[in-house]
Amino acid sequence: MHPLLKNPRGLATYLLAWVLAGCALAVAWVQAPAEWIWVLGFLLPIALLTGMSALSMYSICRSFPLRPAKWMSTLSRRAAAAALLALLVSGATALWNATGALWGRDGLVTLTPVAWLAFVGIQTVVFALSALMHDALLAQQAIQVATATEAQASLLAREMEIKVLRQQIDPHFLFNSLNSISSLIQFDPAAARAMTIDLAQFFRQTLGLGERERIRLGEELELVQHYLAIEQRRLGDKLRLSIDVEAACRMAYLPPLVLQPLVENAIKHGVRQLDLGGLIELSARHPGNRLALCVSNPVDALATRDATGVGQGLRHLRSRLQTQYGELAFVDVESTADRFTVQISLPWQT
Amino acid sequence: MTIRALIADDEPLARALVRAFLATHTDVQVLAEVDNGLDAARCIQDLVPDLVFLDIHMPKLTGLEVLQLTGLRRGVIFTTAYDQHALAAFDLHAVDYLLKPFSQERFDAAMHRASQLLREGAPAVERLMAAQALKRVLVREGSELRVLPLDEVEYIEAQADYVAFRHAGRDHLKAQRISELEAQLDPRQFVRVHRSFIVNLRQLQAVERTESNGHAVRLRSGKRIPVSRSGHERLLGVL
Repeated sequence: MHPLLKNPRGLATYLLAWVLAGCALAVAWVQAPAEWIWVLGFLLPIALLTGMSALSMYSICRSFPLRPAKWMSTLSRRAAAAALLALLVSGATALWNATGALWGRDGLVTLTPVAWLAFVGIQTVVFALSALMHDALLAQQAIQVATATEAQASLLAREMEIKVLRQQIDPHFLFNSLNSISSLIQFDPAAARAMTIDLAQFFRQTLGLGERERIRLGEELELVQHYLAIEQRRLGDKLRLSIDVEAACRMAYLPPLVLQPLVENAIKHGVRQLDLGGLIELSARHPGNRLALCVSNPVDALATRDATGVGQGLRHLRSRLQTQYGELAFVDVESTADRFTVQISLPWQT
Repeated sequence: MTIRALIADDEPLARALVRAFLATHTDVQVLAEVDNGLDAARCIQDLVPDLVFLDIHMPKLTGLEVLQLTGLRRGVIFTTAYDQHALAAFDLHAVDYLLKPFSQERFDAAMHRASQLLREGAPAVERLMAAQALKRVLVREGSELRVLPLDEVEYIEAQADYVAFRHAGRDHLKAQRISELEAQLDPRQFVRVHRSFIVNLRQLQAVERTESNGHAVRLRSGKRIPVSRSGHERLLGVL
């Protein structure tokens, strides 16, 4: 059914427009005051009939949607339908005009053959226009549906992302940290308490920040600090840190959990594997209109690299940044024999 | 009798905790603490401890690899926080393990079981090891131990009571029978093509016919290795 038929106000407005069009035509037509009643009596029902008939193009347009590959057949169908409809309405018009006999006239109005021809022509044009407008309407509806689907898809993607973020909380990390706390309780209760608090803060912030679209770098750094505090207790003096963040960068916005997974990789695949540990360097700069982050860690030059974990994490990060920034985000990885560096560049947002 | 123990875990706090739990076990003497798999393997070979507290997740070699490479089958208490694959294997073969964090009671129970098995041998560990395909081997290089990733080994050749691993153009000897080694390897990757040869299929270039109507395989390095009739059947079975 035509959408207008489900909407009484819309339908009334539409028909009123046709009545007004009929009146306008009557103004152009009537030459003597005595003709008014006959011309209006003839034109208004025909205008309404044309209006209602024009709506039927909707089903034609819907049944044979415009497709670039088949434009010949779809256009010819529309033309044929418009011409047929014009003929039918003209037939009805002739019949209606003939009712003038009831009042003893030849017709309600007098129509010359030229006028008839013009009439059929106008009707055809009206129906063709109607087809055009319905096509436009359908296209707009399709766009609306597509947008709604897209919105839903992005919502779903976001939910997925939060799920993934939650899974990123490594159970190995959690249980080993609890084991460290269990050990510290005996030797250094104050450190055990501090570690418990770091662990709690880390998890709280991971869950809290993960649900937001953008956070300040300062917030992410706070999370990373808790994470590093825990790792430093677990690894002892194997883990050394150099954190260098330009003050302005702390206020810059970025998606949550961009730095933390990088630092986690730097420890898991870098410092942890080295007998003597090593230095993790973390920096944030503000060059031009961008936010530049860098995490760098030493790697075991002799070990065969098991890079599957690193690769997956980086791929995930890349695709996250790409969905959010498109071509405006860069992730550069530099891997030398003894050092692994990841650089991220994002548009500056405050 | 004192039980001579080794503690292998890459986290100092985790090692300290095992020591603390051992305080009530006065018959246990801790020989050494190590923080990676390679050192664990070295200590097991050099010090021959009675009991090893072995973390699964360690740098260089995993706990399971340490067992594979040293042939240690008894006197092992596995400790781990979360290693789904290892835990599934443990459960499958009824091997006892300690899940971090663990209590003194749980620790004592594991000690009790382990000290019993020390005398009787541990068939569960034996079964567990039989089910693991070897990924790396431990070879001696002078007085040093070295880890060879099996993926990079070209072929393995039997030489009297030794096997020689061909890796990066050099042979590395290890005292082992080739049939025993064959049983530990992944049969989809390593095929015994001859009484004296096992080849790594990843290094395979072509299978060729010889003039005497037999077969030989050519490896990427250009090396040709003879293929026996039964070896050819095994090769076809895998390929």
